[in-house]
Amino acid sequence: MRLKKAKALLICLSILLTLFFSNDFGLIDVEKTSIITAIAIDKEQDEYILTAQVAVPEATDTNTENQKAQLSSKGKTIGEALKEMGDVSGWFPKLAFCNLIILGNNLANENVVNLLDYFAKTLRLQDSALVALSEKSAKELLSLSTPLDNISSFAIQKILLKATQFDNDVAPTDIKTFVSGYYSKNQSGYMPLVKVISADNGSGSEGQKSDNSSSSGGGSGASSGGDQKSQGANTESNNLFDARTTALFFKGKKVGELSPEETVTFNALSKNISGTSIAVNNVPLNDKECNYLLNIISDSHSVKVKATDSGIDLNFCLSIFCKVSDVFSTGTEDSLSSNTKLPKPLVEKTKQLLTNSIISLVNKSISTNCDFFNIKEKLYRYNYSKYSQYKDNFLSKLNIKINVNVSGQK
Amino acid sequence: MNISKNLDENTKKLKQELVSDDITFLDIKLNNTNGILVFINDLVNKDTLGELILRPIAFCKETPSENALFEMFLSPEKKQIFEIEKLIDDLLLGNAILLCDGISFGLSFGLKHFEKRAITEPPTSTVIKGPREGFVESLSVNISMMRRKLKSKKLIFENLTIGEYSGTPISICYIKGIARKSLVEQVKKRLNKIEIDAVLDSSYISKFLSEHKFSLFKQIGNTEKPDILAGKILEGRVAIFVDGSPIALTVPYLLIEDFQSASDYYNSSYSATVARYIRVISVAIALLLPALFVSAELFHLQLIPLSFLLTIVNSIKGIPLSPSYEMFFTLLIFEILNEASVRMPKYVGMVVSIVGGLVLGETAVNAGIISAPTLMIVALSGICLYTVPELEQTFSVLRIVFLIVAGTLGAYGILIFIALLAIYLISFESYSTPLCAPFSPLILKDMKDGIYKGFLQEFEYRPESLKNKNKRRIKIKD
Amino acid sequence: MYQLKTRQICFFIIAFLPITKFFSLPSLITSFAKEDLWISALISLAIDFITLIPIVYVCKKTDKTFFEIIEDVFGENGAKIIAFLYLIYFMSKAILPLNEQKDYVEYTLYTLKPNVFYFLPLFILAFYMCFKRIRVLGRLADILWVVTINGFITLIVLSLSNADFSAILPIGASGIKNIVHGSIASFNWFGDSAIIFLLVGSFKWEKGSSLKILLSYVLGAVMVLLFMIIFYSIFTSIAFRQRFALTEVSKYTTVINNLGRFDYIGIFMILFSNMFALCLPIYFSSKLLDYIFSIKIIWISPVIVVGFQLIITLFLYQYFVSIEMFMTSYFAIYFFVFGNIVPIIISLITLRRNKYAIKEG
Repeated sequence: MRLKKAKALLICLSILLTLFFSNDFGLIDVEKTSIITAIAIDKEQDEYILTAQVAVPEATDTNTENQKAQLSSKGKTIGEALKEMGDVSGWFPKLAFCNLIILGNNLANENVVNLLDYFAKTLRLQDSALVALSEKSAKELLSLSTPLDNISSFAIQKILLKATQFDNDVAPTDIKTFVSGYYSKNQSGYMPLVKVISADNGSGSEGQKSDNSSSSGGGSGASSGGDQKSQGANTESNNLFDARTTALFFKGKKVGELSPEETVTFNALSKNISGTSIAVNNVPLNDKECNYLLNIISDSHSVKVKATDSGIDLNFCLSIFCKVSDVFSTGTEDSLSSNTKLPKPLVEKTKQLLTNSIISLVNKSISTNCDFFNIKEKLYRYNYSKYSQYKDNFLSKLNIKINVNVSGQK
Repeated sequence: MNISKNLDENTKKLKQELVSDDITFLDIKLNNTNGILVFINDLVNKDTLGELILRPIAFCKETPSENALFEMFLSPEKKQIFEIEKLIDDLLLGNAILLCDGISFGLSFGLKHFEKRAITEPPTSTVIKGPREGFVESLSVNISMMRRKLKSKKLIFENLTIGEYSGTPISICYIKGIARKSLVEQVKKRLNKIEIDAVLDSSYISKFLSEHKFSLFKQIGNTEKPDILAGKILEGRVAIFVDGSPIALTVPYLLIEDFQSASDYYNSSYSATVARYIRVISVAIALLLPALFVSAELFHLQLIPLSFLLTIVNSIKGIPLSPSYEMFFTLLIFEILNEASVRMPKYVGMVVSIVGGLVLGETAVNAGIISAPTLMIVALSGICLYTVPELEQTFSVLRIVFLIVAGTLGAYGILIFIALLAIYLISFESYSTPLCAPFSPLILKDMKDGIYKGFLQEFEYRPESLKNKNKRRIKIKD
Repeated sequence: MYQLKTRQICFFIIAFLPITKFFSLPSLITSFAKEDLWISALISLAIDFITLIPIVYVCKKTDKTFFEIIEDVFGENGAKIIAFLYLIYFMSKAILPLNEQKDYVEYTLYTLKPNVFYFLPLFILAFYMCFKRIRVLGRLADILWVVTINGFITLIVLSLSNADFSAILPIGASGIKNIVHGSIASFNWFGDSAIIFLLVGSFKWEKGSSLKILLSYVLGAVMVLLFMIIFYSIFTSIAFRQRFALTEVSKYTTVINNLGRFDYIGIFMILFSNMFALCLPIYFSSKLLDYIFSIKIIWISPVIVVGFQLIITLFLYQYFVSIEMFMTSYFAIYFFVFGNIVPIIISLITLRRNKYAIKEG
């Protein structure tokens, strides 16, 4: 019996060895894999143009940073475009590391979930990848070079993800959150709107220079383009990204935008934003006007929905404790003052600023139908008995109550 | 065959059996009685032979009776032997034998004297703190070392001889009242069954003591240190000494034994516990790291963080071999170097290390034949395995099997192989003791020397895994 | 001679019984019961718990094994029929989890969907396990409960930050019909008491064993419910299409972004325990087959039961969706009857007979 066992073991080992040395399991070698770090999606006529940014590793002894290559392809569906990309490049498109999906501005008017659903359903891509809307063509955005990183998608990710680390001035979202928002009761969602700004001009100026570099990633063929170009040598690398504006979506279509100030307030109402700075300007203090930058040390928030027969009470509670991180005043009395409490006018002004911002947010929600406060979901979850009564007109039945509390020290 | 009273007859028989030139047959006279003293030239201490045996013979004034003959010699180690075969056995052990005319027995004198290695620290288990002495090849020295450690009348040595040509003395050692009787009997039974030409080392015996002869895994414990062996037999194990081997065997064996180092018991419990975890982690790294790396490269890229993946891709760019081949051949080269460095003389071994480690490795990476991460992983795996040197042989085989499984089936294959090993190991019993105790079956009381190393005061009872009747070993008086 | 200890039965329940529910079951129940998936699971768990109570009392009152008990109740031939019906039960119980595991391995673990060959070694494990005595199950449980618990805690800790527990509100809004439907569909994965029923008589009864076994089941049930709730709290409206829940729940934590998918440590732990859990129905099937046909040659039953599962996995794969639909709808009643009703009836009869026997004695 033992000899039989030994024989069986030997046979198993022989089979394993044969398989090991035949080395043919249809496997994809890491070298034949294109590590896609970001995907940009645009639409041209009725075809989707998919641009993938691929990390191209450099040999270790060169001591240079990783470079990128861009692959483009077209297709009637995202899946088809992706397949085409693999077909023409010979690389197996590996999506597991794709952490960013950028949608071109021309997609904003159609239901973007039709595209994102592919990524949400496929197991080849992590649906924790960030989603952002580009102010211009997504391909252009991805093709830009920036001093922040050799690979532009990494630079954009830094802007989007910084929210979780220090400044909550961006409202990032991932595929899962966006798609589940679409399929939820409120059918709403949001994503950051990425704008390009020039490093030379500071803010506001659109990166026109990027057009030169962006053309490098363009599709060259009628059906697909598969050009690869190292961007390391690009001298036009003074583009920065701004994602503080938030695009609002209802039923998958873009319906509006939140300004940077509104984005911060929205973040304050939906998550902890300690570490975030808010600017409070023109604070009247001793007949002079001061400009403050407040750093939020701690905060608490709640958005409560209560349905009654007379309507839906929407209660916002926001309480922040902040510290003055910078102040500019024509007079020096305040800055020299030994009083450690925040000046009352500053507190009042901050309250007013935040209250106005909340009102503005609610109005935007009503005007765009984008229920980014999840009011309908909360109505369903906490006020189920009234849900059927208000589910179709809940935004018009809102009674808003705002309670903002600001405290802090200098 | 019994010894007759006729000296000539006995001498004839002996000379027929013992034809080797190094055996001396010395004719003597005890007054008027003829006798013969037989010994192996290079095995007996001639000074002692002259002083304790030949001098009384020379001064013998009257023919001794059977009783007087036994009494007249001053040798402290003497015995009467009545059979020719036993006489020969005794002679071959290095004793001197005396036969006299008219006497129906032979006398054996323990005069063996041969060169022995000095007691040194065993190279396989060096310690920073703790006793440094190790067993030597001489059975009597080893027994004396044990006696010095455990001065108890309950420390029992039972001797037997195995090997048709080697006639190797073997000693079973245990503490009466602590070791299970059935265990001692089982060991004796197994040893008595052995019929072999020669026992050249204790490893010969360990093969016969093993219950599962085809198993890759160790079933018999071993140690070169008297302090460890004393500790083990105090826990209820039985030890087997083999003359000519500095390694004592112990049964039953638990897998965890090899993760317990001697120094654990001489250092603080905290550092011993940490050291134990390091050993376990090291073994896991040694066994699985090459396999996991290959499977991640071939099948599961998503498991590697992006930045690390880019580094890997950087380094494997242009390597002609597939990741599995690359790892397999690097591991093979490592094993070759390992084997060569053990076999080669020390001064050449140094060269092998330099050539292997620096020249081969560096050049292979520079030439783009193997990648730096692969080399690093093999080196790390190799080093890690030596944290538990006792299991090095078993695990180096397993490491290759894991690699083959990983290169063929990926991570799921590795998991299945671990599962198969787990079932095999937990159902494995040797001398009625589960190999994986105290983890499986779970014996919580033994965890103080398992999952952590407890304080000495906690070791109030002997391990339950060994199923002893005498349980208590520490009692603190009020 | 008892092969197991009460401790091992408790660990067995914790190590093996919850984990089979961590794969496609949450999404399957969600497709019926939506946010009330946990209620459906709770119903199934409660049914199993109720089944377990008389079984535990049978263990307390008698030393007889499962086979001796059914022989007492149904006679020798009747016992063989019952054993045969249980053989069908365990053989069919293994099909869906095995195929679900196959899909899971193929779609989530490998860069490319691999050949079915990658999954086949699991059958070697099942085959090897069938040779082992029940004692090995206990020893496995001694180790695997630690693996299961650690894997579970790792995944839960990583998932908690993304879970919005209010997603399971309002309770009961899906309606009783959908909740019950969800529960019925899940019978294939539940019916764990039947497994414990087969272990009756193989462990030594100690004082407090009933409580320990029942509490272990409660702990396992809490693990299942917690996982279901967290799963829905993370995926809410798209939970029904997350077939591979185990890999999905933990990947949204921020740490993953920084360190890579180290949650796979927890996933592999669960997968490891689950491999043994998948082999359990096959193991018991082989023991039942041995009993029914009084097979003495140890390899015959393992070859038959493993071969059967292998054939289904290899050749009936294209009909898997139909098989799944059949198993979760019409055949669910069979799972319910033999997973719950029959063990209760047999246990009650045994207890009653035991009571009379004591009285008469």
